[in-house]
Amino acid sequence: MNFEAAVQRLCDSGVAFVVVGGWSAIFHGSSHVTNDLDVCYARDRANLDKLAAALAPYRPRPRGFPAELPFLWDAATLANGTIFTLTTDLGTIDLLAEVPGVGSFPEVLAVSVEVDAFDRRLRTLDLPSLIRAKKAAGRPKDLLVLPELEALLEAGGEDEKAPSG
Amino acid sequence: MLTGLREAQLARAIERLRNPAPGGKAEAAARFGVDVTLLIEQLKLEPAERARRMHSLAQAAAGARGAARKA
Repeated sequence: MNFEAAVQRLCDSGVAFVVVGGWSAIFHGSSHVTNDLDVCYARDRANLDKLAAALAPYRPRPRGFPAELPFLWDAATLANGTIFTLTTDLGTIDLLAEVPGVGSFPEVLAVSVEVDAFDRRLRTLDLPSLIRAKKAAGRPKDLLVLPELEALLEAGGEDEKAPSG
Repeated sequence: MLTGLREAQLARAIERLRNPAPGGKAEAAARFGVDVTLLIEQLKLEPAERARRMHSLAQAAAGARGAARKA
């Protein structure tokens, strides 16, 4: 897996995206290793074209999709769905048009912050929104990381926002 | 812009994680089993360094899983 190359590829291709999920947690200080890259992307046609072109060289296919069946990866395919859980030559990448608890791309973008990582400047969810997303997703793997994220938020807060229980 | 913590912020964060306020989120995390020493190590780094470190760990873990499957 090479998440660094995946992020660089998306950035260099001009894709409008926000890193959410486990990598966002890591940017904020989480110590949980993650096995996939979760990104929320803009669904306008121009961005779908860029996204499709950016990942095409890395042979994206839906995880669990029968190997013997053809899968067409292009902007039209992206336009026909809102969640793509992909396996690629760079690792597993989940593309989300919406983030539970936050909303679609414009709402996600509005609560994102810039971060320098992987030798690029990109955007990721702010910590309160990431916590909201994890709570809304509610899967065991999301809930597992919640205590850590909430502790990070509390620890990094200003004095007037000190622990309140 | 998400950046690493400044010296005073880091000192305060470390204090809050090592000596959590009763009933707070840090105390709850410790009770849940979160290793706050790992969090502290991450907070000492810039986000880019956190990413680089965890990327290396993820790659090592993937390699170990591959080796286990071959064994």
